[in-house]
Amino acid sequence: MLLNGNHAAAYGVKLARPKVVPVYPITPQTPILEKISEFQARGEMEVDIMTMESEHSAMAACITASLAGVRVFTATASQGLMLMHEMLHYASGAQAPIVMCNVNRTIGSPWGFWPDQTDSLAQRDTGWIQYYCENPQESLDTVLQAFRVAEKVLLPAMVIHEAFYVSHALEVVEVPDREVADRYLPPFDPPHRLDPEIGESWGNVVNQDMFYRHRKTLGRSMDQALEAAIEADSLWQELTGRGYGVIEEYRCRDAELLIVTMGCMAGTAREAVDQLREAGVPVGLLKVKLFRPFPVDQVRRALKGVPGVVVLDRNFAPGTGGFLHQELKAALYGLEGGPAVHGCLAGVGGTNVSPTKIAALAREAMGGKPSVFPVWKG
Amino acid sequence: MLQFKIQGRGGQGAQKAAEILAEAFFREGKYIQAYATYGGARRGTPVSSFVRVDDKPIRLRCDIENPDVIVCFDPSLLTGALLQGAGEDTLLLINSASAPDHFASLGNFRISTVDAVTIAHANDLGRIVNTTLVGAFAGLVNKPDLDILIRVIREKSPAKVDQNVKAFLEGYRAVTGGMN
Repeated sequence: MLLNGNHAAAYGVKLARPKVVPVYPITPQTPILEKISEFQARGEMEVDIMTMESEHSAMAACITASLAGVRVFTATASQGLMLMHEMLHYASGAQAPIVMCNVNRTIGSPWGFWPDQTDSLAQRDTGWIQYYCENPQESLDTVLQAFRVAEKVLLPAMVIHEAFYVSHALEVVEVPDREVADRYLPPFDPPHRLDPEIGESWGNVVNQDMFYRHRKTLGRSMDQALEAAIEADSLWQELTGRGYGVIEEYRCRDAELLIVTMGCMAGTAREAVDQLREAGVPVGLLKVKLFRPFPVDQVRRALKGVPGVVVLDRNFAPGTGGFLHQELKAALYGLEGGPAVHGCLAGVGGTNVSPTKIAALAREAMGGKPSVFPVWKG
Repeated sequence: MLQFKIQGRGGQGAQKAAEILAEAFFREGKYIQAYATYGGARRGTPVSSFVRVDDKPIRLRCDIENPDVIVCFDPSLLTGALLQGAGEDTLLLINSASAPDHFASLGNFRISTVDAVTIAHANDLGRIVNTTLVGAFAGLVNKPDLDILIRVIREKSPAKVDQNVKAFLEGYRAVTGGMN
């Protein structure tokens, strides 16, 4: 059927059967929650939709509901995610496997509604699993994968797509059968839950050693999320024929340069790669889908022996540059035969990045030396 | 690949027009991608819709730079930014009571006009000019299929279904009856 990215994500949520969905609206995410409300009104979802007074409260409600042992979903964007920030740390600390969609949108000020990944990337250290999606179909599929992974390792997960290019892009999407989803995602049954009958609690004051141990546990959960994500994706592929990998290599064979990017720009980059290959230029694409935990080994394997890479970041951290550029350089540290890494800030603030532009950036990178500083490329 | 832009103002139904056309192309077995961008999601602010139609899955996630067709719901939106990338093969369909010559100074495009405001009013649709312009689009581009379009309009019209179909047909005839 034809669905935009937000509605596709909502269909994924419906198939996941969450019991509680605390909501607070914000452009360009609102259609996700509107669609869920519609499903509930039509009797297609048995869910408690809680209308909260802010995103901070919405996330607080997510945490408590999740700790009570039920599956929980919410969605937000930009300023809403900023307001949740404190609670994001609380959620991962409480090992609450909430799944949240974030629609990437520029953060004020100045005010805007444009696709830019800085909002979610600035939450990279909050202990949430992060998936970046290229198109509506991938967003739907990833919502289900995210629940499976989150509940396995007991960490919250963000499923992220960009404003307009995905969130509002109407496309052909295949919605899996209910039976397939039920087979894939068993009912949530956590080992611990808040229940007066059991008498367990969460959030007590701890000493330094306990805190230290807890942070280590959290780190271990995040490490396990990588294997869990690989397993979740393989099983999904078995059931639906659609798999994405934690990274994807597109036409990377014998490539002298790889374009590395995340989210929907990967789609445009595929066109650029095809154009360049046709012109005899050996270029490929490495798409990073799972950003947290960062798939270090997979990336190192993919880039070993490749002469150069050009990273395209539709995001910007003043003082350091593109987030993916930084992460990639860190991941490649000490790799023998590792590539020269060029970093381009492209599409920051939602500016248009065409295949022609990507092809030009790739050609430029092939002929030059990389700069250690961020390079603005429109 | 067929690529077109629809430029309107919030409340005119430009986004809906894109959805109707996209749905009709989809039912013809095409792959489509239709998305909209808007500044403030308020009535009166500019809304741009973009539609791509192809025989294979569409991977592009960027603006349409060389549109085959531009549909403009409001001549006050005929700015340089809208027309950037348009060439002599670009069909520019304008909602206006004026003849195409009136817009000749905009550049070397294939210009066509339809008085969608009058048609919409006559059909009791107020300022909702989208179905009329969808009709004109179909008349000029010669696709998607008329019967499919009428079915889609019937399904997607929130009210005044017959009036919308009639406005659609009048829009179609206005450009196929020698008026362009």
